Amino acid sequence: MLLFFCLFLVKGLKVRIFWLATKFKEYPFLSFSYVCVACLSTLTYDTLRFGEFEDFPETSEPVWILGKEYNALKEKDDILSDVTSRLWFTYRKNFPPIGGTGPTSDTGWGCMLRCGQMILGEALVCRHLGRDWRWAKDHKQREEYISILNAFIDKKDSYYSIHQIAQMGVGEGKPIGQWYGPNTVAQVLKKLAVFDTWSRLVVHVAMDNTVVIEEIKRLCMPWLDVAGEAEVVGELNGCLEGACALAEEETALWKPLVLLIPLRLGLSDINEAYIETLKQCFMLPQSLGVIGGKPNSAHYFIGYVGEELIYLDPHTTQPAVEPCEDGQVPDETYHCQHPPCRMHICELDPSIAAGFFCKTEDEFDDWCMRIRRVSGLPMFELVDSQPSHMVSVDALNLTPDFSDSDRLERFFDSEDEEFEILSL
Amino acid sequence: MPPFDRTPLQSRPFKQRKSFATRKQEVAGIRSKFPNKIPVIIERYDREKYLPPLDKTKFLVPHELTMTQFVTIIRNRMALLPTQAFYLLINNSGLASMSLTMAQVYKDHQDEDGFLYMTYASQEMFGH
Repeated sequence: MLLFFCLFLVKGLKVRIFWLATKFKEYPFLSFSYVCVACLSTLTYDTLRFGEFEDFPETSEPVWILGKEYNALKEKDDILSDVTSRLWFTYRKNFPPIGGTGPTSDTGWGCMLRCGQMILGEALVCRHLGRDWRWAKDHKQREEYISILNAFIDKKDSYYSIHQIAQMGVGEGKPIGQWYGPNTVAQVLKKLAVFDTWSRLVVHVAMDNTVVIEEIKRLCMPWLDVAGEAEVVGELNGCLEGACALAEEETALWKPLVLLIPLRLGLSDINEAYIETLKQCFMLPQSLGVIGGKPNSAHYFIGYVGEELIYLDPHTTQPAVEPCEDGQVPDETYHCQHPPCRMHICELDPSIAAGFFCKTEDEFDDWCMRIRRVSGLPMFELVDSQPSHMVSVDALNLTPDFSDSDRLERFFDSEDEEFEILSL
Repeated sequence: MPPFDRTPLQSRPFKQRKSFATRKQEVAGIRSKFPNKIPVIIERYDREKYLPPLDKTKFLVPHELTMTQFVTIIRNRMALLPTQAFYLLINNSGLASMSLTMAQVYKDHQDEDGFLYMTYASQEMFGH
């Protein structure tokens, strides 16, 4: 035991020294304060989590990360570069108090909120930079990238800050500081996205494990409802192809879709029949990954290899970051620069939300086609149109107080409990 | 905080409250009286903290009722918001396809005793 502990320390120290040495080599101009912050953050890392950072496995099995396939033997650098390029949101401390007087850190409660930020962050990357965009340390940042980061900075007026998510959650019955589920954070993101006029996303949360194609098309092309009839759409298209100069927003025929599907794939454990279907989710080019976790700990799952899920873990507390005066954002702590965590797929808590991004209508149609081809037990159902009774829900509200004699028809058995009879 | 307390009265699952023979007999009796209805048992997941208990466990439902309609009825009973998570798991394992009719679900998943068993649950919360 003691030996193990010593080894652990030595290993941790070595890496830390190496890390700092690399930093100094690259940036002799680093300011003293920056180094202090860097030391602090690595210290938190090493002491809390070092043991988990295993190297990526050398296996011939395909590695899937958000719809991209890699070979772990030949493309390890590409895998790590892809993982590092994802936005990594973790617990933070010393941010402005939520709601003016609330918590200044989300350690211990914010992990699902951070996972929500990560899945939406990935959607924004796909929306503004593209899936193939890669992060390069200390390169000049693209304007869109800075805007994305700013949307998540821990302050009250960022579109999707921890402050906004926690406060919007109050309306979902979650006081500030309470734990969220995947559906809670999905519902909150849907509400917040409305204010993000820069991204103009449609965040749709598909309830009751059912995705209704017609509903999504209406949300992503709201002008279809305004136009009313199909012919009018034809005219609109004709007009757009012509010399009609419409604003950029109006010419976009499809509002980019973030589709979140909250699910429960079992009661206490995941039903193993879903495992193959779940893996196939990560193989779709539209994949935004999955938010979920192990019991109590939320993770952002970005792919799988063999029987292991690959994830980004928010359970590291880092100091909050302030944007610089020149508009740049110190962004190193927003990218996971160690090999990603892995866990056996059977450890997955059954409560998840799968995410997909469809920038165009064609991408959505392609997603529908691919979902229909997925083999194995479906995790959710894809239907063309909303069943009519869902529109008039009241018609089905069969309570025993109804005067309708048919509905009141009851059968009393010989024992304590009676059947309740439902009629159409 | 969980808004609802567990009901101690019905804490044991239906299957444990009654013997196989009793349950089988009960199904035979009810099916002879209501040949056009399917006997369904709906129970709350024992670790469910957010969804309320239902006042009824046993339902007789029409064959042609779809799962969506059935879920809508149960959701309304519980006065759930459309944004609240609600899942019906058949035989404690798989999610029911919403477009299937009760007759289809019954055909594939009925228990040996003749009942169709479903458990409802919301989602787990995560924090550390």
